[in-house]
Amino acid sequence: MGNAPLAGIRVVDLSRVFAMPYVGAYLADLGAEVIKIDTHHAAFVDTTRTLTGPYPNNEPGEDFWNRAGTFQTLNRGKRSITLDLRSEDGIRRLLDLIAISDVVLENFTPRVSRRFGLDYANLREVRPDLVLVSNTGYGHSGPWSAFGAMASALEPTHGSGAFMGYLEPGDDGRLTGSPTPNKIGNSYTDFLACWSAQLAILSALYRRALTGKGVWVDLAMYQTGVSFFGEGLLDFAFNGRRTRRLGNRHPSRSPHGCYPCRGVDCWVALSVRDDEDWGALCKAIGQPSLAFESRFADPVIWYENQDELDTIIAEWTSDKTQDEVVTTLQEHGVPAAPVQNAAQLLRDAHLRERGFFEEVAFPQSSDMGSSTLLGRGWRLSGAEVKARGPAPDMGEANEYVLGRMLGLSQGEIQRLRKEQVIGEQLNGGARPGVVPLERQAELGWIAGYESDFDRRDEQGS
Amino acid sequence: MDLLNGVRVLELGGDTSAPFCARLLADYGAEVIKIEAPGAGDSCRSKGPFAGDDPHPEKSLPFLYLNTNKLGITLDVSSSTGRNILARLVADSDIVVQNFSPQEMENLGLNYSRLSADNPEIIAVSITPFGLSGPLRDSPATDIEVFAYSGHLYHSGDSDREPLRNALDQAWYVAGVNAATAAMAALFQRLFTGVGQQVEVSAAECLATHMVQAVPYYDYMGAIKGRRPVRGSGFEELMPARDGYVVPSVQGSQPWAVVADLIGLDELKEEKFVSGSGRIEHGEELKDLLIKGLAEWDRKPLFEASGERRLVFGMAQDAGDLYDCPHLAERDFFVEVDHPVAGAVQYPGFGPLLQGEPYQVRRRAPLLGEHNREIYRGRMGLLDEETICLRACGVI
Repeated sequence: MGNAPLAGIRVVDLSRVFAMPYVGAYLADLGAEVIKIDTHHAAFVDTTRTLTGPYPNNEPGEDFWNRAGTFQTLNRGKRSITLDLRSEDGIRRLLDLIAISDVVLENFTPRVSRRFGLDYANLREVRPDLVLVSNTGYGHSGPWSAFGAMASALEPTHGSGAFMGYLEPGDDGRLTGSPTPNKIGNSYTDFLACWSAQLAILSALYRRALTGKGVWVDLAMYQTGVSFFGEGLLDFAFNGRRTRRLGNRHPSRSPHGCYPCRGVDCWVALSVRDDEDWGALCKAIGQPSLAFESRFADPVIWYENQDELDTIIAEWTSDKTQDEVVTTLQEHGVPAAPVQNAAQLLRDAHLRERGFFEEVAFPQSSDMGSSTLLGRGWRLSGAEVKARGPAPDMGEANEYVLGRMLGLSQGEIQRLRKEQVIGEQLNGGARPGVVPLERQAELGWIAGYESDFDRRDEQGS
Repeated sequence: MDLLNGVRVLELGGDTSAPFCARLLADYGAEVIKIEAPGAGDSCRSKGPFAGDDPHPEKSLPFLYLNTNKLGITLDVSSSTGRNILARLVADSDIVVQNFSPQEMENLGLNYSRLSADNPEIIAVSITPFGLSGPLRDSPATDIEVFAYSGHLYHSGDSDREPLRNALDQAWYVAGVNAATAAMAALFQRLFTGVGQQVEVSAAECLATHMVQAVPYYDYMGAIKGRRPVRGSGFEELMPARDGYVVPSVQGSQPWAVVADLIGLDELKEEKFVSGSGRIEHGEELKDLLIKGLAEWDRKPLFEASGERRLVFGMAQDAGDLYDCPHLAERDFFVEVDHPVAGAVQYPGFGPLLQGEPYQVRRRAPLLGEHNREIYRGRMGLLDEETICLRACGVI
């Protein structure tokens, strides 16, 4: 770890679910020692260990809490200890650990954070130069402060849906923006919070290295979300416009959209930036004369004839494969890309050549083989940044952290285990069921599945 | 917000990604010099919407939003004189962030080898659609292609319709915040190594990292996640209320009875809806009841009542709703910014609050070339005659 940017930085990661755990994973990729504070009590466990899945070959298995795929991505390279924070012992050991750490990540609601004594004023007593990130739905002040939150409900709340909606036929039969909002989905807001927290932490560590001062980051996901849609908000402030729903169209580029290709649920995205692209597109679809037709002659008439234009393009794309369409358009210099699903993404030649995905191997004692992890969107030429290993088994570092780092005796650790303050097996809760893929496909909850999928084959290849 | 006081940043390129990256660094206290081409300036200046719907280079709303807290100069970096002046600015900076295409970077002498020759300590950040290597390196792309390629677009919208994009060029925002983060990792490392490095950002890969569910779904069990299901109970989805849309939710730690009681229909209290599997099995019936119950509610009272009961509902808000939001107001989210051409309005602020202190806009977005004199004369010590000459031959 000689040239890892965060070598020597210790992070206590109390966070759960998506946004903040992913922050911790990236800090580990950057070389920090990240200790995840788990609990083995089912009622309070990080639900990505239990509910989110997916499990290898759709089989949760005996120690399912160590085997979930999304959990692996979000917690790679960390250590794990368990502490029951409802107990005095749990809180005491946590504070002991924070006293020798640099960064704390937590996403409790303000009420719970205060109950555990994890507010900045308290933690600063324990570690004066601490960088504390408190991630919540709505922040630690304001009338909605106590409200819980999750990304999929937050996304429309912070305004995303005002700028997203399908086109519907209007009174005159032409397509127009629907009054119905839609969603980016994919837990989008979690990632806005995740990236914002990473930037705040690295900026805070930079300042701390120069001045010795810590900082408290009150990260409200709602407010963070709004800040990514600011240009849309200014349209209200200056012009009184509340929404901009354009389907897949663009205010100043045309054509611009998502067109069907041959096959089930196959699409291609393309856009025309200028006259040069427009000429190239007309050539690519075998209609070079289209570029000179009066209905597409000047920007205003062109814009009014978009429905027609989209029909012409869709006629061309719909009997060709996605690959054929993309290749032809790219060869002509028209911006175009396949709308890729996860299977395509995993096999994508460009990403493979760039080494975007990272494989981490599990210990031989498990039957997990290896896991394909999403890498990062950036590379540093002079630093070793990578996923440093799989996500930790629950409580795997209890002995190491409590014994070696905090100096507890074996007898004391045994007592904590006996009193259920710590534990390495999930206490309570039901084993997650097998995901009913057939039924989910029927309901449209998943787009499809490979019925003969066997992860062991993929691992061998 | 003074974390990055003393850090100097140069921004080249334009539109959204590099400007958003630099704005975030500026918001944390860095000094950012935005470099625009003489004449038209940043292409974002011609991007709408415009203040008063009046297309004007100082009235582009994306530009006004993305460029607060910066100084602005003009410089033709494609001329050798301009490139020499840039070298002197690079020598005096910590971070250079740009979003030229790989080809343009080479042509303009803005690749890492040239920039590190100007200053071996420089953190040189490039943001491109697909990165600086691989078969797609030189493929042009706008926001929609990046979204499509990354896997994001496939999952956005309704499962029975085409994938649907958000209208606000989100790919470049996500790339911008990632670029700022990576730049800070490199700058932090420089405190200990004393040397700079190249930071290469691929917008498509930034978005692909969001696939934390979809990719394991396939990697672990061969299943393909799709778009929003149209069939189901309606929970966790946008559903119509009396004055707009809400997202009812059964997530969180509260039992079903709390949800049923809030929505206020006796039929919802029936035994068959109590369990998650029951709600799936009776999904269609539940959706009808939900629609009936929600029709009695306006968005905001329902949202606030759900929060008070520790439920995690959402509501669809538009730009006007957000300006009216009492919560954002109490957190001093909006900040008044006056601009000599566009006028004064409240601007949306910043995500994180540090130490509970309000965010501040120290400077409005710069007019084209507004700080030429301050930088060229004040900072670099050029003489009046020299700047006149540079202006005459179109370098600034």
